[in-house]
Amino acid sequence: MKKVSFLVFAMVASLLLVMTGCGKDKEVSTTGKEEESNGKTLRIVTDANYAPFEYLEGDKIVGFDVDFINAVAKEAGYEVKLESVGWDPIFVEIEGKRADVAISAITVNDERKQSYDFSVPYFLSTNKILVPEDSDIKSGDELKGNVIAVQTGTTGQEAVEKLLGKNHKDIKKFENNNLAIQELLKGGASAVVADNTVVEEYVKNNPDQKLKVVEDSKSFNEEFYGLMFPKGSELKSEFDKAVNAIYENGKYAEIYKEWFGTDPDIETLKAQQ
Amino acid sequence: MSFRWDIIFEYAPFLLKGTLLTIGLSVSSILIGTFLGLLIGLGKIMKNKVLAFPFYGYVTVFRGTPLLVQIFLIHFGIVPFFTGETNAVTAGVIALSLNAAAYIAEIFRAGIQSIDKGQMEGARSLGMTHAQTMIHIVLPQAFKRMIPPLGNEFIVLLKDSSLLCVIAAPELMYWGKAMGSQYFKVWEPYLACAFIYLFLTLILSFVLNRLERRLKTE
Repeated sequence: MKKVSFLVFAMVASLLLVMTGCGKDKEVSTTGKEEESNGKTLRIVTDANYAPFEYLEGDKIVGFDVDFINAVAKEAGYEVKLESVGWDPIFVEIEGKRADVAISAITVNDERKQSYDFSVPYFLSTNKILVPEDSDIKSGDELKGNVIAVQTGTTGQEAVEKLLGKNHKDIKKFENNNLAIQELLKGGASAVVADNTVVEEYVKNNPDQKLKVVEDSKSFNEEFYGLMFPKGSELKSEFDKAVNAIYENGKYAEIYKEWFGTDPDIETLKAQQ
Repeated sequence: MSFRWDIIFEYAPFLLKGTLLTIGLSVSSILIGTFLGLLIGLGKIMKNKVLAFPFYGYVTVFRGTPLLVQIFLIHFGIVPFFTGETNAVTAGVIALSLNAAAYIAEIFRAGIQSIDKGQMEGARSLGMTHAQTMIHIVLPQAFKRMIPPLGNEFIVLLKDSSLLCVIAAPELMYWGKAMGSQYFKVWEPYLACAFIYLFLTLILSFVLNRLERRLKTE
């Protein structure tokens, strides 16, 4: 009898542990006052593994995207419940309408537009090549014949596949860019192709690793990030308005400057609308 | 939601290539792991505690840490330290064999210790050395008893090889993930992978069953 009650106790205790794990608030709520919002909380998903856009500081999600979405949601009158679910699951969550919005430095492209709705662009980005300082690679074309590490499912992967061929054996696809860069540092790849902000930030923060960034606007096109919604979501138009509003009132420039130290090119972003 | 067979067909050659690598990784790791496991298992039952200590330590470390952690350490740490560059397949075989060896060592130890002491004493009294007794008397009997737990371990190892997708070893799961992230699909890539893994483990358990029946003495 004693044994049984111990087992029951152990089961209950472990269940409780699991439940505290689930309840842990990996979410950031806006500090917006009650009267400003109509109280509705949106479930917003991201992949907090993409500094400086979204990454974890302790158990808090921080980054440019986080500040941006908080500002936009406040403008549109919503509360934010931000959750990090991982990169591929973002698309599954949005497709299944289990999340309202996704923000995760998601590039808007035609393929994705078929399955999802996007807000007006909120960020301008290009893919760039990260190589060791002594590398001979000077352009996208010179990537051919080299092993390239990318994050799976990103436009960096797409860009490299366009150059080398789809699912080429020289392309190594990793779960995230940190692992891809790790592979480069350890000699398993000659270059990493990823969004400029990510590779530039990495070089800036890790000067001892002797890496440099190669730009090639011929091989890699300009890309725009957008907020992603389930197809047909009514939130899209509200958020479009809110994005434009924070372009106008200077809030966007303020957040941009805080994270990147320069002024944003709002004109280019608006030209895309 | 429609099930898109076409993307499975599109990725079929890659899944096939991945399956072959999965088989290669698993078979070589099973062989290396079994060999290492035998040595470590024998090491652990040595009478001399000082000599046996490293083998205890080995099992403690490799059984006590997650395989995923070991994979990262070996891929980004140990392999580049020795060769100057990473190699996912090498790191994969090393990680899987070293990890499996720890479990297999325990299977061997348990198997050997389950053989009645009288067998050893009888053989020794007939003039065989300790090593001869081990090889000709104890191990053959022990091996028969070890087949079911070894079979479990081999199946676990085959499935664990899917973890190697995190270091971009182009095995089955890696291509499943590549397919999933290209089309943002869940069912097609992972169901396809699940079926192939199930097929592989079925073959493996069939082989092990045959072996078990073969070695039956009754």
